[in-house]
Amino acid sequence: MTTTIDPSTTTPEPAAPATALPAPRGKQRKLKWPGFGLVSAVVFLGGLTLMAIFADYLSFIPYPDALIPGPDGRPGRYEWGPSWTAWFGTDGVSNDVFSKTIYGARTSLQVGVFATVFGIVVGGVLGVIAGYFRGWVDRVVMIITDCLLALPALLLAIILVNRLSDLAEDTSWLGWLSRKWTIVFTLGILATAPLARIVRAQTLSLREREFVLAARSLGAKPGRVMFREILPNLIPAILTVAFTGLSILIAAEGALAFLGLGVEVGTPTWGKLIDENRNKIDEFWWATIFPCMMLFLTVLSFNIIGDRLGRRFDIRQAGV
Amino acid sequence: MSTQIQASARDIDGPLLELKDVTTHFKTPRGVVRAVDGVSFTLDRGKALGIVGESGSGKTILSRSIMGLLPPRGTIRGGSIKFEGREIGNLDRKAMRSVWGKEMAMIFQDPMTSLNPVMKIGRQIAEPLQIHLGMTKQNALATAERLLQDVRIPEAKRRLEQYPHEMSGGMRQRVMIAIALACGPTALFADEPTTALDVTVQAQILDLLGEQRRDRNMSLVLVTHDLGVVAGHTDEIAVMYGGKLVEKASTKGLFANMKMPYTEALLNSIPKLEDRSHTRLSAIAGRPPDLVNPPKGCRFAPRCPYAAEKCINEEPPLIATAEDPNHLYACWYPVGSEAYHEAKVRIAASKHATDALAAAGGN
Repeated sequence: MTTTIDPSTTTPEPAAPATALPAPRGKQRKLKWPGFGLVSAVVFLGGLTLMAIFADYLSFIPYPDALIPGPDGRPGRYEWGPSWTAWFGTDGVSNDVFSKTIYGARTSLQVGVFATVFGIVVGGVLGVIAGYFRGWVDRVVMIITDCLLALPALLLAIILVNRLSDLAEDTSWLGWLSRKWTIVFTLGILATAPLARIVRAQTLSLREREFVLAARSLGAKPGRVMFREILPNLIPAILTVAFTGLSILIAAEGALAFLGLGVEVGTPTWGKLIDENRNKIDEFWWATIFPCMMLFLTVLSFNIIGDRLGRRFDIRQAGV
Repeated sequence: MSTQIQASARDIDGPLLELKDVTTHFKTPRGVVRAVDGVSFTLDRGKALGIVGESGSGKTILSRSIMGLLPPRGTIRGGSIKFEGREIGNLDRKAMRSVWGKEMAMIFQDPMTSLNPVMKIGRQIAEPLQIHLGMTKQNALATAERLLQDVRIPEAKRRLEQYPHEMSGGMRQRVMIAIALACGPTALFADEPTTALDVTVQAQILDLLGEQRRDRNMSLVLVTHDLGVVAGHTDEIAVMYGGKLVEKASTKGLFANMKMPYTEALLNSIPKLEDRSHTRLSAIAGRPPDLVNPPKGCRFAPRCPYAAEKCINEEPPLIATAEDPNHLYACWYPVGSEAYHEAKVRIAASKHATDALAAAGGN
């Protein structure tokens, strides 16, 4: 019996009242700050997210299409390196790289989060159903996920983005499917397979647990058992995979943009920034390196959080 | 609609539960496992029946067969199970759902795993009430609180808001009982309800089950490996061995006059307080029979110290004793018969001889 899956146990213990006797050593250690890595990861992601959301209202972030005048008062190509005027320098069209990076975070994070949510919903439902019913349902779901996993992810993504874009152009009722949502769906489909497999594996072990039998012996219908009894127990596993998956998807969005399969022209993303400026990396390194750093730090932060959750919930060894 | 049919088919006077030649076999790669092989008995309303046997005797499978809780894949069920006069042995899950909870409920062995760890106690009790009895959430929670009081949980209101991990094993088993009792079942199956609990809590839980059974005029089927557990808490006892019923009698009748050497061996294997310390525990030698290829004759014969030629070759029928038509047993040479005494004398003599030999060797 692992009590680690209880969400209530995962919330940090409330701090002891000031009047209480000093806790024994072992207890204090438990209440210790989470590691430096985790704190920096959370602070970094939190700050980045807030800046991305409120970029329009923050005076120190110019608009991404604002032309930054050079030292001679006129905008030009790569006029500034990292400086007080432009923290990350300016790029080939005289825009502020810091601003573009923050606005790029908007798109990159959005794409990553929406794609992950799509993967969780579709993959989670498929996984629970496959794991609970087993038999032919399981076999069909497993064949689909096996196919998705067997193809090289990037190749599949390129094909899917192109097919979905064509489809959106040709089909009138798919007019709302902008380039951004095309990429969200593509990455979401890629995220579905691993999530479905993990959820299925956990469901297989959970469905044999006695509380599931107890629920059934009280006349609970399959839908109820799956979504009220089993699914809440899966949340730790899903969260862990989601955080790690989110970092992969953000990097994948960058890779797609790098290959020219980015979002609409005019919307900056990290991948596009890197792609636009990489030819000039020898002379004007800042325009490429800073977006790269941002991408790297974001992916690292999500990985640290995902790792930490995985250890916290003991996902790898988990019978949950 | 379906409730009308149920009501009209309901047989109020007859026994609550009537099993006739119930078989449950499992298909496995090794062959067909005869987990339950032709079990018949009846259980009256408001009575408590103990099903006793060691691991692998089929007692758990039997209780789950009656409840219809076995996985449908690879399970072959036979015979007839009548509940309130209605045949339920062949019902599928959909049809059984109206029976589960309202008519029959089950308590499981390990209270640590039989409650959902991420759901509050209150909701776990209230949900079946809302769904089966159509109660509103407030009513269901109020009933849940009353149920917790019924199972002697202090501060019931506060407990509703707690998660299972905040409670001890005994508390959790009480909660489990409250959940099982929630919809007022007429039959309660308790599958080793006290095995995971310590002895003092065990007694409390058994007393609680007995008390609730009398208050609610409910039938109780108590599945256990411990004759001591059933002794004080049941009206009748059924002893199972190798998937078969080998002895069934009223609790008093069984302890006064047990016929089956297996029952006797089970009783002897309970350690006694008055024994001197370091007395060797009398275990039953050997292992339970392989239910893919069960022994041809009496299934207990290979382990029975009194077994004769006939026991190995011919299966003994389940017959009533001369004194009591309700005391059934399946044995060719039951405890108390002449052959049994002869065998006993023989065993004692040979044991004496080996002891003497061992003593001589020791010198």
